Amino acid sequence: MGTIKDRYAIVGVGESERSRKSGTTPLHLALDAARAAIKDAGLKATDIDGFMNYNEGDSCTSHQLATYLGVRPKYVKDIQGGGASTEMLIADAVALIEAGQLNTVLIYRSLNGSSGTRVGRGYDPDMLQGALAGGSFVIPYGSASPSQWFGMYATRHMHETGITKEHLGHVCLSFYEHAQRNPKAFLHGKPLTMETYLATPDISSPFNIHDSCLELDEGNAIIVTSAEKAKDCTSKPVYIMGMSARQCHPHVHYWNDIDQVASDYVAKELYENAGVTPDDIDVASIYDCFSWVVMRQLEAYGFAKRGEVGDFVAEGNLKIGGKLPTNTAGGMLSEGYTHGMNNAIEIVRQLRHDYEGTDRQVEDCKIGICTGWAGPDIAGAMILRN
Amino acid sequence: MTQATTAYQKPIPLKDIDNAPYWDAADNHQLALQKCEDCTAYSQPPGPTCAKCGSENVRFEQLGDDITATVYSYVVSYRPFLPGFQDELPTIVALGQLDQVPEVKIMCNILHCEEKDLEIGMPIRMTWIDITEDRALPQWIPNTN
Repeated sequence: MGTIKDRYAIVGVGESERSRKSGTTPLHLALDAARAAIKDAGLKATDIDGFMNYNEGDSCTSHQLATYLGVRPKYVKDIQGGGASTEMLIADAVALIEAGQLNTVLIYRSLNGSSGTRVGRGYDPDMLQGALAGGSFVIPYGSASPSQWFGMYATRHMHETGITKEHLGHVCLSFYEHAQRNPKAFLHGKPLTMETYLATPDISSPFNIHDSCLELDEGNAIIVTSAEKAKDCTSKPVYIMGMSARQCHPHVHYWNDIDQVASDYVAKELYENAGVTPDDIDVASIYDCFSWVVMRQLEAYGFAKRGEVGDFVAEGNLKIGGKLPTNTAGGMLSEGYTHGMNNAIEIVRQLRHDYEGTDRQVEDCKIGICTGWAGPDIAGAMILRN
Repeated sequence: MTQATTAYQKPIPLKDIDNAPYWDAADNHQLALQKCEDCTAYSQPPGPTCAKCGSENVRFEQLGDDITATVYSYVVSYRPFLPGFQDELPTIVALGQLDQVPEVKIMCNILHCEEKDLEIGMPIRMTWIDITEDRALPQWIPNTN
């Protein structure tokens, strides 16, 4: 992947309305997001010859989306995927363009995450036992939510590194503060104090409602094309410097080894491909399905040493104005949860300086990182520049 | 007077072609672990081949019923995420690192444990709860010996 450096770009981003109850289908949300991204890029729908999405059986198909945009594309692909899929599908799109198969690819994630299927509220017991080989080793014990699965990692990691509940609170407070600057954030107008945070009971330790992402109804879309074709777009291109992805665990059941996460392995190759170091990163989107997941990735991606991540966040470094402004639209904890894609959209807007002249802009930012986490076992990440 | 029948509401472990020896052993209040004859790694939960090296040369090793461990990690859930847990909140889910085979960690609930007493490193012991006429579920209890 090293050879693709700066030769591909994200040229359009867009989203639908976000709400608790869309009153419509994921297809409508995807159409809204796709139209917004196409407009943002200054393209016509028929300029898109590849459509891809990731889903958990909760979306529309790429075929449907293309059809109702009036496009007959060369290539459609729908994958069952988790929160590293934005980065992984962007890599697929780059590869297909590089292979001469496609010119311009639209990638989307659309779901009624609140009014439809809800990931965080647990699954139908037999479905998960049957669908996941090994589900029968967790489901009978009442462990059916990602908060419980990732919490097992968090408890151990916090024990080993001295991360406290208050440290997790600093992650939440930083992102909530960003949401107060973003009128479209779902928790805009609902600031959070440490006092309130610490007084909020856990749903499943070590996480309370503030530590957990906001499941909403929303569609997001991103358009990828070559640096050459990006010149035909009206938007400022944001170039892909490097990408990497990894599945790491020595067992399909990732609780078998809770001492490692895939992000640990992605980081090295990512920085090598991009030709930069953590010190070069001006702005970040760190996958935040839960507050602790951010802490663990800050360690994995080298922004703070193991054992020092708590202090790093307590010093306010994740806030705009800090060393590593992170999830500057509020992240999935307070803007909304589109399975990672809304964080990718935000990093593009920051690097384009779309917020210039407002308190939302990370001043002079040139290089950004966007990380995905499909679980402890699968990660994908990319480094972008303007 | 009517006979009180309290049906087991929680999910019952599904046996399949790969995990049946584990659950069959559990039904007899025993622990069996899958082990690779080639690379000697244990696979827990078991699968069609060795998850470490891919070898098909796997067998089950019987470890008996005297299984002790220490708590490697845990979560305490205050909300039921599945049917049957609503009356037993909070639910403790813990990963126990086996004393006999430290490279294996097994996830169960810890029964008869107060939340305030729960900590990483705490000694636990495996017990088996009869959940239906022919099925039993491995669980952890504090090991006070």
